[in-house]
Amino acid sequence: MWAWILFRISGLILVAYLFVHIVIISQGEVGGPDTLDRLFEMFENPFLAFLDFMLVAAVLYHGLNGVRVILMDFGVGIRNHKAVFWVVMLIAAGLLAWFAMVAAPHVFGSGG
Amino acid sequence: MPEVKLRINRYDPALDGELTGGRRSDRWEEFAVPYEGTITVLEALFSIQEHVDGSLAFRYCCRASICGSCAMYIDGRYRLACQTNATHFNGRTITVAPMPHMPLVKDLVVDMTSFFAKYEYIKPWLMRASQNPEKEIPQSPKDRRKLDMPIDCILCGACYSSCPSVWYEDDYLGPAALLKAYRFEVDSRDEARKERLPRFDNERGVYRCHTITNCSEACPKELNPTEGIQWLKRAAVRRRILGRWK
Repeated sequence: MWAWILFRISGLILVAYLFVHIVIISQGEVGGPDTLDRLFEMFENPFLAFLDFMLVAAVLYHGLNGVRVILMDFGVGIRNHKAVFWVVMLIAAGLLAWFAMVAAPHVFGSGG
Repeated sequence: MPEVKLRINRYDPALDGELTGGRRSDRWEEFAVPYEGTITVLEALFSIQEHVDGSLAFRYCCRASICGSCAMYIDGRYRLACQTNATHFNGRTITVAPMPHMPLVKDLVVDMTSFFAKYEYIKPWLMRASQNPEKEIPQSPKDRRKLDMPIDCILCGACYSSCPSVWYEDDYLGPAALLKAYRFEVDSRDEARKERLPRFDNERGVYRCHTITNCSEACPKELNPTEGIQWLKRAAVRRRILGRWK
């Protein structure tokens, strides 16, 4: 049940994020390239970087749990859905760690 | 004599008034039940009814976990009172509550009306289109094995009570009725798909299942209604897209 509840919550978060994303990106059109550059600098703030990290976590959770649900629709892994869930979460954790390693220098270092 | 301690969720409409809007009773009573040898939760309930409080209401029949009458919410899980050994809780107090999300009748007795109405709706019996043979209808061992899981359902209602889709959609058929539909649809002898499929191929039927799997977690017989519902979904989609009935 909790996998399903989290699935719904992460889905809502991603829908909400989509709107924020569209607003931010459209600033390039509305306010010009300088506005967009200023906004991008803002994303180096550690708190926003953390939100970014959580966003990737939500995408990974939602996407990979979605794969599990689709497999169940095809009749795969219904009896051992718990094991499949943890395998999928392991993959998600691995990808998240990889993302953090790649992204960290850009957030905390001079890159960007 | 050793004792088991039970904390029972009590409800008497005459005493506590009618409960509205799915509200539960918050009246709990504790009982210490002496026993010799061993004791099940159902036997402890009998003991309370006989020696302490004759007004305690609960359902039971077979006492051997095949009738499905005594499903309750015991110690935070769906269990049959008759197959739950009360001495297996390390001496801690065992909470005994009626099945959640179902209308209360009295104490541990819940109203199963909608459960059985939906069960009946999917026509839970073998239906034939062709002429029956003179003697029995033959079935291969391979086809018989397909029935092994769904045929063990004892209609206790635990899955139905545990399903979030049932909580929020009064008209959803629920896991037990759909598992029974699966039991007949997967049966090589049944020939009534045209009659039964329209009853579950809709938003009140299989598509309301979101594979939350609470039903398979709840089932005291360790059956897997989700597996049956997913099978029915595939059959329904095959019929809609490919036009194939079987």
